[in-house]
Amino acid sequence: MSVLIDLLLAILTVYLALQCLLAQRLSQSVFLFFAFGLALALAWVRLGAVDVAITEAAIAAGFMGVLFLDALRDFSPAVSENQEDLKAVQNPPSKNATKSLLLPRLALGLGLGLFLLIALEAVWKTPDGGGLTAAAVALLPESGVEHPVTAVLLNFRAYDTWLEIGVILLGLLAIYAAGGINLYRKPGVAAKDPLLRQVILFSTPVLFLFGAFLLYFGKTGPGGAFQAAVLWGAIGIMLHLGGWPVFAVLPRWLGQLILTLGLGFFLVLGFLFMARGDALFEYPPAYAGILILIVETLAAISIAAALTTIYANINQMQEEPKQNESTT
Amino acid sequence: MDVFFIIVIVFLLLNIALGLIRVWRGPTVADRLLTTQLFGTTGMAILLVLAGYLEELTLLNVAITFNVLAILLVIGLVQARKNKKGETP
Amino acid sequence: MMIKEVITVILLLVGCFFFLAGTLGVLRFPDLFSRLHALTKADNLGLGFIAAGMALHIASPWAALKIISIWLFTLLASSTTCYLIARFQKEQDQPKNGKEPG
Repeated sequence: MSVLIDLLLAILTVYLALQCLLAQRLSQSVFLFFAFGLALALAWVRLGAVDVAITEAAIAAGFMGVLFLDALRDFSPAVSENQEDLKAVQNPPSKNATKSLLLPRLALGLGLGLFLLIALEAVWKTPDGGGLTAAAVALLPESGVEHPVTAVLLNFRAYDTWLEIGVILLGLLAIYAAGGINLYRKPGVAAKDPLLRQVILFSTPVLFLFGAFLLYFGKTGPGGAFQAAVLWGAIGIMLHLGGWPVFAVLPRWLGQLILTLGLGFFLVLGFLFMARGDALFEYPPAYAGILILIVETLAAISIAAALTTIYANINQMQEEPKQNESTT
Repeated sequence: MDVFFIIVIVFLLLNIALGLIRVWRGPTVADRLLTTQLFGTTGMAILLVLAGYLEELTLLNVAITFNVLAILLVIGLVQARKNKKGETP
Repeated sequence: MMIKEVITVILLLVGCFFFLAGTLGVLRFPDLFSRLHALTKADNLGLGFIAAGMALHIASPWAALKIISIWLFTLLASSTTCYLIARFQKEQDQPKNGKEPG
């Protein structure tokens, strides 16, 4: 009977993914993507991966959502006077351009198809024992946490997680490189609407508390640093949108310290273990629990700061070329 | 009881599928933003029923995540446009 | 025991009815403001009934507290959403650009 749910979810997910790409209007794509995020989160729940479902919910409904809305506003005729931009986006290429794109598209399609086949084969060959699940569960008592996913992410495969934090920081650096580091120091536009101010101020502690709960709950169940980071990042984004740009008021060295805290502490910790003669990121079992909690907290703060700064930068970046265009 | 939960979940999923028509039709961005609220609320209801059906209480946390982030999109749309036009509300 | 299940079933059915009503309203109503009205009222009522039904079924105080807080926050967020979207649309309508964005 429950196959019905799975079947419906599978159809909905694939249909939405296709329509996201095929929709004619940008705003259709953007809002279909939200529906896609929801369907995907429900699909992860059905697959028993609640951790991923929370992440998907937070990223798709929260961070990607506001980023896409921000992108949407640049291509909307109601705001942009420059119709050329719009035309280029809405009815993209001329006939010639389509022809010259045919070969790269074909190559990309074939490459992705091949990749998919390899992935399918790997899925097919996965042993029934579930790969390394048994090994991870067997070592759980030594990891310092009770939830296998957190144990893998922050203890057994801590190196991967460390790199993931670095990737977010790299994204921020790329945005700095594209837009200039000074942009985020501009004050935002204050929300004068009293209801808007109140709802932002009310949501802030709720988001903070729930983020902290998820962070701590990660020890025993689905939750953890990344989920908490998106929720805390949402606080920063909301405050930025309400006209309280958090990182613009901090002195620059403090902002940079917060941004690199997670990555840096993780690395220093890893090398300290190496100095003791252990492997990189090999926690001593006695202190593993508390160390993981500290690392997660600092990582969450850093990622939240990075997400806030990414949004604030992108949000302000487009104002610069706009002014140049209006003078021409 | 389980069969009833499944029927409710399927019904709510179909509800979401029906709401997609409004994303297609639009006509304004605000109309489309409305559907995200529809999807969010219906998704939360699905997660609540799933939590009861699977007896997996951590699903409530997924529902809360959707819950607390739903308002962010609205503020994102309303305020981001303000910033761009450079006018104060 | 039986009575509890019957009440859960009734609450969920009523909730489903309001969800259907909300979706039909979003689809059938002629303009944004009436759609807003349909969505932010009917759907919340539907969620309220389903939340009540599931809180009864799960029957754990901690879960019930979470479910109730979900519903309360939804009420707050969605009434604000209604106001914000309506005000946004009104401001969009005032300068004469009837064109569809995006």
